[in-house]
Amino acid sequence: MASGGEGAGNGESPPAAAGEAPAPAGATLHIRCANGSKFTVQADLAATVGAFKEVVAGSCDVPAPQQRLIYKGRILKDEQTLESYGVETDHTIHLVRGVASPAASGAPAAASPLASSTPSSGPAGGLGGLFPGVGAPRSGRPSGIFGPGFPELEQVEQHLSQNPNLMREIMNMPAMQNLMNNPDLIRNMIMSNPQLREIMDRNPDLAHVLNDPSVLRQTLEAARNPEIMREMMRNTDRAMSNIESSPEGFNMLRRMYETVQEPFLNATTMGGEGNTASNPFAALLGNQGSNQPGQPATNAPTPGSESTTGTPAPNTNPLPNPWSTIAGGAQGAARSGPTSSARTGATGGLGGSGSPDLSSLLGGLAGSQRSGAAGGLGGLGSADLGSILGGSPDASFLNQMLQNPAMMQMMQSIMSDPQTMNQLLNFNPNARNLMESNTQLREMFQNPEFLRQLTSPETLQQLLSFQQTLLGQLGQQQPSQDGNNSGSATGTRGNPSLDTLMSMLSGLGSGGGLGVPNNSNVPPEELYATQLTQLREMGFIDNAENIQALVATAGNVHAAVERLLGNLGQ
Amino acid sequence: MTLGSSGAGSSVVVPRNFRLLEELERGEKGIGDGTVSYGMDDADDIYMRSWTGTIIGPHNTVHEGRIYQLKLFCDKDYPEKPPSVRFHSRINMTCVNHETGVVDPKKFGLLANWQRDYTMENILTQLKKEMAASHNRKLVQPPEGTFF
Repeated sequence: MASGGEGAGNGESPPAAAGEAPAPAGATLHIRCANGSKFTVQADLAATVGAFKEVVAGSCDVPAPQQRLIYKGRILKDEQTLESYGVETDHTIHLVRGVASPAASGAPAAASPLASSTPSSGPAGGLGGLFPGVGAPRSGRPSGIFGPGFPELEQVEQHLSQNPNLMREIMNMPAMQNLMNNPDLIRNMIMSNPQLREIMDRNPDLAHVLNDPSVLRQTLEAARNPEIMREMMRNTDRAMSNIESSPEGFNMLRRMYETVQEPFLNATTMGGEGNTASNPFAALLGNQGSNQPGQPATNAPTPGSESTTGTPAPNTNPLPNPWSTIAGGAQGAARSGPTSSARTGATGGLGGSGSPDLSSLLGGLAGSQRSGAAGGLGGLGSADLGSILGGSPDASFLNQMLQNPAMMQMMQSIMSDPQTMNQLLNFNPNARNLMESNTQLREMFQNPEFLRQLTSPETLQQLLSFQQTLLGQLGQQQPSQDGNNSGSATGTRGNPSLDTLMSMLSGLGSGGGLGVPNNSNVPPEELYATQLTQLREMGFIDNAENIQALVATAGNVHAAVERLLGNLGQ
Repeated sequence: MTLGSSGAGSSVVVPRNFRLLEELERGEKGIGDGTVSYGMDDADDIYMRSWTGTIIGPHNTVHEGRIYQLKLFCDKDYPEKPPSVRFHSRINMTCVNHETGVVDPKKFGLLANWQRDYTMENILTQLKKEMAASHNRKLVQPPEGTFF
């Protein structure tokens, strides 16, 4: 036991390094003596308490057998490891000099873990349910409670990428185009994805392409129009098979795939939802037989084409078109969004010509932010909010999405520019009509204060739920959409919901009386009703204080909590 | 950020969970005066109810060199209501029930006049002071290592 004490000083820690899986990294532990003195030791958390005492004995005058170590109210027993008590680096352990050496009776802590602990038998509702982080308190610091991740966003992303029509619809929105015209915004989006950023760091060329606004615009254009898209796909496919048939061509393709596409794909299918289309090439190849996903290099020389295997001549066969809606069931599933886009990503990078396709890829990548943007802007006059919602009817994801810092930042950057807003509104014929017939409304939209209010998560949420119910009555278009994706229907779909939304907005304008920032008349209790409820459920019971915090943070619950807790420190 | 000092001026009511997490961290890191130690019994209890505390016997008393273990139970109404506190290690103190080890709130001022911003650390340090009080410091103690 005592022999292990020595190695703990530095990273080596010989005794534990042998077989244990957990990294035996040295931890810094603070020892606090009964007389108030303090010192710090390095220790291996996997070591036993007995070994640890030897380490401690080296730093103080209490020999190991006389040491009593206390951590979190418990007396540490020699034969257990530090880990088993939950000791972590930077934690403090108390040291008391014991009177006698540990005799037979000297296992005082034996019963401590049991005692009166009443395992979580309480009613399941209550506060605890709201705090999944609390379940493992050591990791559940307040900051962790709300978690940085918004898993629902991924759902949206996935949903989007599996439904090309939806993608296209979103692309068609003026808001989206406007977004795409803003290179900074796009860059932000890309940069906010760590994996993508990594790729770009490693491939400066690619970064260049991604940073070029015109490329993005072109791509968007293509993605928007199924016709162009299809043609583009065919062209690139042909180009690819040409390359393949030239000597070294396939190798080049393969390298391309390895350096660019794979990381890209990893970025797109981040959540590891590998069952569908985690490797689009594989999905494509899957039509031909049982090729290994992830090992495209070992495949027969022609991914994606049936007949070129032996022939050195250029392949003129039309290649499978990933956007084709007639594809069979299996194919259809596999070649939704990511499939096609990732694929074009490869070719785009390759030829340097296919750049337009690249950003449809981008579109897929930025799916989360994208849909976020769509959601946010939808409230301001674009139509497809409902279809996003219709797709995944989980209302709470929206809420979370809206509270995503990236999202908020984006919206703010859009909203803060009245010019952009105007442009946005003018893009949309319906909106323009509305504006022209109602000057008050226009005035309203040009008032930044109103816009801010309008984009507050709460307002958007209300609008959404309203719209959702209306949409429900306007016929169940969304569900059917998944099944038969007829590209032609896309353009017209959004309109009912658009009208609804617009009429709602105008109602909002006139309902409040005289135009301008009527929202500020709404008492904050109403405006932030849901947020207030959330705060109350978290245990913040002072309503006045909650409202104050919510007003100050424009309805952002997370920020409000931090604000409320931060107040303590003052 | 000393909880005890926020006083009446602060109108913010810290929810139970946040409060207990903060106490947990203080216990782990040894923040505070460092003469007491405390932590959660069951890391899986999402309600964070059962706690163990340790008091090191104060100098110049019969308690010197002894380590007393206590059980604290923070019910759902904590910190509105004080936790229930009982000694696990046997001790002879005026405010402690001789049969059960429970600290009698009527005889222990901090629990009797509980305020929301008191913490478990406050309880433990106050109990330690109580041990050193004139009516407790000389009391004959049961043998060390025995439990209620």
